[in-house]
Amino acid sequence: MSRYIIRRIFSVIPTLIGVTFVIFMFQRLIPGDPAVAMLGEHATEESVERLREQFGLNRPLFLDREALAKGDIAGFFDSQYIRYMNRLVHLDMGESIHRRIPVLETLKIRFPATIELAFFAMFIAIIIGIPTGIISAANRNTPIDSISMIGSLVGVSMPIFWLGLMEIMLFAVMLQWLPAGGRISVGIEIESITNLYLVDSVLTANWVGFKDASEHIILPAIALATIPMGIIARMTRSSMLDVLQEDYIRTAKAKGLGRSLVLFRHALKNASLPVVTIVGLQMGTLLAGAVLTETIFSWPGIGRWVYDGILGRDYPIVQGGTLVIAFVFIGVNFFVDIMYAFLDPRIRYN
Amino acid sequence: MTPLLEIKNLKTRFFTSEGVVKAVNNVSYSMESGEILGVVGESGCGKSVHALSIMQLVQDPPGKITNGEVWLDGQDLLTLSEKEMKKVRGFDVAMIFQDPMTSLNPVFTVGFQIVEALRLHNDMTKKEARERAGELLALVGIPGAEERLDDYPHQFSGGMRQRAMIAMGLSCEPKLLIADEPTTALDVTIQAQIVDLVKRLQAELGMAIMWITHDLGVIAEMADRINVMYAGAIIESGNVRNIYKKTRHPYTMGLLGSLPRLDEDPGAELLSVPGLPPDLLALPKGCAFAARCGYRTEKCLEEKPPLEEIDGREHAVACWHWEEIAGSK
Amino acid sequence: MAEITTEEITVTDFAVREHRSLWVDAWRRLASSNTARLGMFIVAFFILSTTFSHFFWEYEPKKDLNYSLKLKPPTLIPNEEVPSVHPFGTDKLGRDIFRRVVHGGWNSLRVGIVAVSISLFFGGLTGLFTGFYENIDTTHIERLVLFGLTGLVLGSLSAWVAAQPIQAIFFAILGVIAAYFKNFQKGKALRMVVFTIAGALIGAILGAFVSGAAALISLIWGAITGALLSRPLDGKFFSNVMMRLMDIILSFPGYLLAIAIVAFLGPGLEKGMIAIGVVGIPVYARLTRSAVLSVSQKEYILAAQSVGEGHGRIIFRHITPNILSPIIVQTTMGLAGAILSAAALGFLGLGAIPPEPEWGAMLGDSYRYLTSGAWWAVLFPGLAIMFSVLGFNLLGDGLRDALDPKLRT
Repeated sequence: MSRYIIRRIFSVIPTLIGVTFVIFMFQRLIPGDPAVAMLGEHATEESVERLREQFGLNRPLFLDREALAKGDIAGFFDSQYIRYMNRLVHLDMGESIHRRIPVLETLKIRFPATIELAFFAMFIAIIIGIPTGIISAANRNTPIDSISMIGSLVGVSMPIFWLGLMEIMLFAVMLQWLPAGGRISVGIEIESITNLYLVDSVLTANWVGFKDASEHIILPAIALATIPMGIIARMTRSSMLDVLQEDYIRTAKAKGLGRSLVLFRHALKNASLPVVTIVGLQMGTLLAGAVLTETIFSWPGIGRWVYDGILGRDYPIVQGGTLVIAFVFIGVNFFVDIMYAFLDPRIRYN
Repeated sequence: MTPLLEIKNLKTRFFTSEGVVKAVNNVSYSMESGEILGVVGESGCGKSVHALSIMQLVQDPPGKITNGEVWLDGQDLLTLSEKEMKKVRGFDVAMIFQDPMTSLNPVFTVGFQIVEALRLHNDMTKKEARERAGELLALVGIPGAEERLDDYPHQFSGGMRQRAMIAMGLSCEPKLLIADEPTTALDVTIQAQIVDLVKRLQAELGMAIMWITHDLGVIAEMADRINVMYAGAIIESGNVRNIYKKTRHPYTMGLLGSLPRLDEDPGAELLSVPGLPPDLLALPKGCAFAARCGYRTEKCLEEKPPLEEIDGREHAVACWHWEEIAGSK
Repeated sequence: MAEITTEEITVTDFAVREHRSLWVDAWRRLASSNTARLGMFIVAFFILSTTFSHFFWEYEPKKDLNYSLKLKPPTLIPNEEVPSVHPFGTDKLGRDIFRRVVHGGWNSLRVGIVAVSISLFFGGLTGLFTGFYENIDTTHIERLVLFGLTGLVLGSLSAWVAAQPIQAIFFAILGVIAAYFKNFQKGKALRMVVFTIAGALIGAILGAFVSGAAALISLIWGAITGALLSRPLDGKFFSNVMMRLMDIILSFPGYLLAIAIVAFLGPGLEKGMIAIGVVGIPVYARLTRSAVLSVSQKEYILAAQSVGEGHGRIIFRHITPNILSPIIVQTTMGLAGAILSAAALGFLGLGAIPPEPEWGAMLGDSYRYLTSGAWWAVLFPGLAIMFSVLGFNLLGDGLRDALDPKLRT
């Protein structure tokens, strides 16, 4: 098992490096000069040049072959990419070009917000999705099955932003039960340990804060969870159905096992393999969908922040934010791979 | 002596979108305790389905046992509720299947699966069950049984897996073990080992065995009696000697005649039965074999021949003209 | 052993079932499923209505503007305040939402089709070739080309560094030579040494013409290239590299990547199509690849090879027809996803350039007014998105059930 884990780690590293490369490349490809954007159109050549020098924007992208031609090997390697990687290793993600706030600082605040939302949404999706799938599979072709499956399809077909807006319309505007946006009400304080409001409020026994944070998170989480919920339900169902056709299920019944034991012991463990994979992939959807949800619910997370950064040509923000998102996604899928080996002995003994 | 297993007029149908598949058609026979019965026939003749019907493991939908009685040791299994049937499965009757790789759950250890069977029907602690499982694996000839309990099915070889399946089947000492083509997926040398194993186990433990196969060679060594099935019905049955030496039904003759023999002329032709088995969706009204039979007459096409005893229990045939055919030889 | 006297037996088949091909069968199953029928109906309605209205119901978005009708609720009967019929109400610029929804459908349809085509074409080809070469050996010519290209690509780096294009050509030649030696088992170590030195020499000598430093860098990179070329690179290796690239693309959540691409390319519906298309490529690549992998292990492929069929023929005649099912299903559901993504982009202000009608953009424009009570501006475009996507999903679902060979009796 540990050999398997080590092999997986090695296999992930090139992907991680590839990701940093792509992120770096991308920003440089987008037209528009951030220095000009910062100083405005009327700035002088000089000041623009100085700013660019300051941010290292005047160095070549990857390798300086002019330096090489002059025999300067150190200068050869002094490029934007090398500087970027160097800083990355030291966890220095620079400062926002427009606001001059260190990226790392903003990340510390915004990242937990998105993570909290994403994980909570995933939690909802799993809690509802998997049992629905199991029940559907066990009652194939009955009305329960049809209703759940059509329900899931409808869920998968709904645009997140629209669902969010409908939720706001219903619960916040019309019924006034829940707040329309934000992460927490003005005036409520939660001591920040992890910056995950739900966790922190429980850790400090701040029940008022917990209630407030919960009220704020529930609508966006539901909106975000709808698509993964549908997909998980359908996947669970089809995986269960496939497994129930297998010979070993027949053997289990021949031994005298009852329906529920066959379902929950023999079938489920095998059926969960593809479902686990899907859960990992859906995490990516959640992180992505965060952009839209955060916009509608004014949720102070990374999604919206990165989006603004892309449009504002604010390189460090985009780099830092996307990097973190991509790494989380890779991390989740890595974890999924390990889970897979844990569940299926054929993988770990390979 | 009342027979261990008595089947009367068993009919199983599959109700599909393309029509009704008549998989088992009016099958009746009996088995004594400790007897080894071979059920022989080509693919699709209903041998597996009828065994699944005994265990009530037929997929419903689309399959349904529409008629019949299955008497096992004094109770008609078909009248039992699912709850009662669960107690019977694995305990009074056990069934092992064809492909040991897919028939064992890949995510549980072999030991776990045997222990599960044991604890289901017996009041045993985990420790006791584990010990017994180890004994069972040793009984079926798996070396290093104790350690192998913690191995997963994919870590066993094909023959070993089938042995483990047999161990699992016999774990609760059933009165009847149904083996559905247990050696078809294995190669010939392993096949022989498994056959020997089963014979030995039967001698030691004394249970009745129903061995389903399409391989006439294998069955000749083991069985006391044989049922030959065709298109969902038994067309010839009797003790081994009668079936092989005094074959009466043209189909059986064709099956046996198609076996290559070491004592034959090398240039002799292999006889084969021409044509294909009938479509179970549309069985003809007369004898199901008539289309392929060289001896058919008008009567054969019109009326279905019943399974008639020609020598008590020792030999029965379902053919209108068996006497004339036998006489012409 | 008694012999059977066989007169000439005319075997009569009393019952023959009619032959049914896979497609007819599938169609029958599709047509009988209620959900699939609903899906087909919705999709047909969607396609017909949008196409029709695009060609026959004139709409010039730039001319559509009427402040006096700003944000009016749905009116079916004209009255004093609202002199025209607006079944869906009007938006912030007084435009009839119903009309814009109908015409927006045309844009959504276009985006869906183009985006999915891009993903399918590039992703499908990638998946096809990586899946194929994973198991099947490359032919001689193919290997020469592959090695040559690898040499060219790797060599280009050194060439670029030293500003010496000719280096790339030399490395390509080295690659082709290496291809000839690929299958020699003996002297693997020797081979690696030879090629490494060869690579190093090429780099060093050519680089020396530029500068000492360049020579050094080229020497090192040349050695690495040589060593790599000396290894028995086979189809599996290239497949892995390709799929790694796909993995990297997949590491980025979809919307984010699409946004980034659109930011790069600029606003506009066409750019949105490209963005969504590119994001979808790895999905189709993975799908096709796994389908090809499972098909290429079947024995009829082995049989075709042993008869001497060329790779091209195998791919197009044997493999492609058998992988169509999952691809068809994915394409249908991909259309659904593309429409959703297009709406998302539109919502964020990327995608369609205003005043082009686009469902997501319409939502993006109007959601500010939700709190002031203008629910119709948000509800109807959203419903439109939902129904069209639902239709494709239902259809795709039905197709999946209909084409699933396991369900065939």
